[in-house]
Amino acid sequence: MSGFRPVLTEYIQEKDCHTLSFYRSIGGYTALEKVLKLDPIDVTLEVKNSNLRGRGGAGFPTGLKWGFLPKDTKKPKYLINNADESEPGTFKDRLLMNKAPHQMLEGMIIAAYAIGCHTSFIYIRGEFYKESKILEQVLSEAYENNILGENILGSDYHLDVVIHRGAGAYICGEETGLIESLEGKRGWPRIKPPFPAIEGYLQSPTIVNNVETLSCLPHIINRGAIWFNSIGPEKGPGPRLFCVSGRVNNPGVFEEPMGISLEDLIFDRAGGITDNKQLKAVFPGGSSSAILTADEALDVNMDFEELVEKKSMLGSAGVIVMDETVDMVQACLNIARFYAHESCGQCTPCREGTAWLVKMLTRLVAGGGKPSDIDMIFEITDNIGGLIDFSKGSFGKTICPFGEAVAWPVRSFVEKFRNEFIEYLPQERIVA
Amino acid sequence: MPLLKIDNKEVEIENGTTVLQAAGANGIEIPHYCYHPALEIVGSCRMCLVQVEGVPKLQVSCNTIVTDVPKERKVDGKYDMVVHTQNDLVVQERKNILEFLLLNHPLDCPVCDQAGECYLQDYSFKFGSAHSRFDEEKRVRPNEYLGSQIVINHNRCILCSRCVRFTQEISGSSELFVESRGYSSKIAALEDKPLDNLLAGNVADICPVGALLSTDYIHKNRIWNLKKQPSVCQDCSVGCNIDVFYQKDDILRLTPRENHDVNGYFMCDIGRYGFHRFDNIDRVVQPMVRNNGSFDFMGWKEAIEITAELLKGSNGKTAGIVSSFHTNESNYLLGLTIDGLLGSLPPIKDEEITYRSGFRISSERSPNLKGMNDVSGEILEDISSAITSQSIRGIYILDDGVDRELDDSWKTLLDNMDFVIVQTYAMTELAKLAKIVLPGLAPFEREGTITNDQGRVQWLRPSIPIKGESKPDWEILMLVRNALQKDSEQFADLGEVIKRMSDQFPDYAGVSLFKIGAMGIAVNGKNT
Repeated sequence: MSGFRPVLTEYIQEKDCHTLSFYRSIGGYTALEKVLKLDPIDVTLEVKNSNLRGRGGAGFPTGLKWGFLPKDTKKPKYLINNADESEPGTFKDRLLMNKAPHQMLEGMIIAAYAIGCHTSFIYIRGEFYKESKILEQVLSEAYENNILGENILGSDYHLDVVIHRGAGAYICGEETGLIESLEGKRGWPRIKPPFPAIEGYLQSPTIVNNVETLSCLPHIINRGAIWFNSIGPEKGPGPRLFCVSGRVNNPGVFEEPMGISLEDLIFDRAGGITDNKQLKAVFPGGSSSAILTADEALDVNMDFEELVEKKSMLGSAGVIVMDETVDMVQACLNIARFYAHESCGQCTPCREGTAWLVKMLTRLVAGGGKPSDIDMIFEITDNIGGLIDFSKGSFGKTICPFGEAVAWPVRSFVEKFRNEFIEYLPQERIVA
Repeated sequence: MPLLKIDNKEVEIENGTTVLQAAGANGIEIPHYCYHPALEIVGSCRMCLVQVEGVPKLQVSCNTIVTDVPKERKVDGKYDMVVHTQNDLVVQERKNILEFLLLNHPLDCPVCDQAGECYLQDYSFKFGSAHSRFDEEKRVRPNEYLGSQIVINHNRCILCSRCVRFTQEISGSSELFVESRGYSSKIAALEDKPLDNLLAGNVADICPVGALLSTDYIHKNRIWNLKKQPSVCQDCSVGCNIDVFYQKDDILRLTPRENHDVNGYFMCDIGRYGFHRFDNIDRVVQPMVRNNGSFDFMGWKEAIEITAELLKGSNGKTAGIVSSFHTNESNYLLGLTIDGLLGSLPPIKDEEITYRSGFRISSERSPNLKGMNDVSGEILEDISSAITSQSIRGIYILDDGVDRELDDSWKTLLDNMDFVIVQTYAMTELAKLAKIVLPGLAPFEREGTITNDQGRVQWLRPSIPIKGESKPDWEILMLVRNALQKDSEQFADLGEVIKRMSDQFPDYAGVSLFKIGAMGIAVNGKNT
């Protein structure tokens, strides 16, 4: 698609692009000025009309999520910026925090104003130490310049933003696990209902939005919902940061319209496969999405609906590319090991099942496999993640979607590269 | 009221009831582990999954709430929810969850104390598979002490987190937590704060499997060998409802019995392990009379005659001492028998403790202070000066078996009596001063009613058999009374004593063992 100019990452090559003075020089905080004169309901409506869908992984419509907040509550409302970017193959939020932190902050203030929140949190992944320092700098600049605190930009709106560094658990990126962690508890996802919009942080109505989602907001306000809808497919429009990694010549973050073809992403933006090898498989949306074979990958656009049709998902748009040299059994074990390590251990199927998968795959790789193991992997993944029937949407046997996050990719490896698993089975010997 | 269809059964239920509760109330058992009615719902064991029509995923019934839905959303035009708890899908899911739970389980039922009352065992038998598909090495960990009286067998633990939530929500002491993560998760106690609160024993009860064990009961017996008697704890005036597990003469353990008007689901460790006080007592099992400084045994007939003669000879100058450890009936009959001054032994007081959840340990550490005061007539506070001023010559003590340090005023008083009659089950300091010792029953042998400090009359039931020639305390007093007054009532059983008592005291009107039942009734028809 020609003529697309990056929206969120337009200025990230510029010097000092993370500073307030730079951000102001490119029209930063004008959206906020505009918003502060609007009725919060109209701000929410504009976001709803933009059809912005969450960029964290689940793709839930942002305006709809805000609409779940109770209308008449005496409790405070909270906005949490989910900056716990931990999905393997995903590194877009880090870029935004490094290079365009004021854009994210402006988005946060707009969202907070729209939902009537006066205390907001940035829950940032513990490993993002450098980014947390940048954000501290950004917040103090904002407070000094009346962008945060009392009477923001001369209005009667006030907002405080607090940075909270996570302690390094994948599951704390799940919104209720994040809230528990923010409350100082163990990062165990909560059972729903109640949803965070009704009872979240400190039992109060809470909205959790991703860094990239929030970063879109100033642009939606400035250029309007109609403009936003004009980018990419109807059911999930807007610009999107695609992270391409793995066996490609030019890995990195590429801002493209939603719906760009995966082929363009891999072979054009990311410069094709290293050493002119053959493409073998791709994770289209982080390591918790089901992998696509080369054929499938070359025939799909990166949009929510199309990937669901392919029984995978857009997820966090973390594209991990595997070439012909990749051993799919080892790769599968690697993924299983990651998820077993990160399982919070609360729900029975996930705690026990992930470890079972690792033990079985480890044995298989070590040469101790049995023919029945291969079908057993299907049984185990189905028992963790539910019978995956996209037509009925019937999946999920655990409190949070982590169960699916391990079941889908592991299952897809076996489903699509069964022969490689069979090759790992020891050759049958005739015992005389 | 919403109309729920559950397994083709139509039931009307309260708005806001969970499917799990609704099923239980209608005789449908939904297996579960992490859910406990006293604790927050976490929905993590996934055992209680059921199918709700119109919802694509199976739902945890512990957190699925039935509410009135608008007419257009009703299923078949009338049901607010339609649930299947026993169809193939649900049963298969239970099997899957059980498979996961048993992957690393040692399957050591033959040496596990929980066997016979283990939900993992029961549900595996009912829903599980007889064959394991797990070819890997099991996770094996050594047992650990979580507190001085609680041991955890990690290999049996299913991480339902009931125990952790108990220490957070019920005792409020938060000693327990889940250590590590995922597959490495395990229950642990804080290093500097072991599980030693006074409610600690409850975690072994609420553990649905054999992971948490009380050191007091570990490997002592098998549950199917024991008899179970519902009764009431006698270690403070709360009167927690309990089950007494015993075999022949031995009490093996006490567990709390659910009663929402008294103790909820729990009991404290003072009461739980209190029965050990009677393990090595110097029991009195035969009537005795003191002759020249030493006791001689005798038969009941003779003992009652001598007692009656002594009482008669004092010409009404005998005082009675009632006890807050004895039943209402025994105290009442002592009052009837001794037609004179009444006093009581010094109370046993300690700290009043109220937990976060409202669970309480009363400062009054005898079980029946209120009942004693209610049914004994006037009890003088300063009995010793009354005895002196009215030149009382004899004293009949309903001893409570508590080996208390008697102060000098009591000693002087008793030394100056012509006779001291002690009805007791143990050779206490008081009994040693007696002219006559009449052997009554020990706490787990006796039966009667006691009234807790909130005014609830409860049925204290006997479990272990009577020792030697001892008799129920009410019967001894009746025999003495019969010997004193030839025309006095002969009570055929405890029920008749209660009837007589309830006729006399309006607050106890209508009280009977039948009405008290397992849960007790409030004095005067209401809880104070």
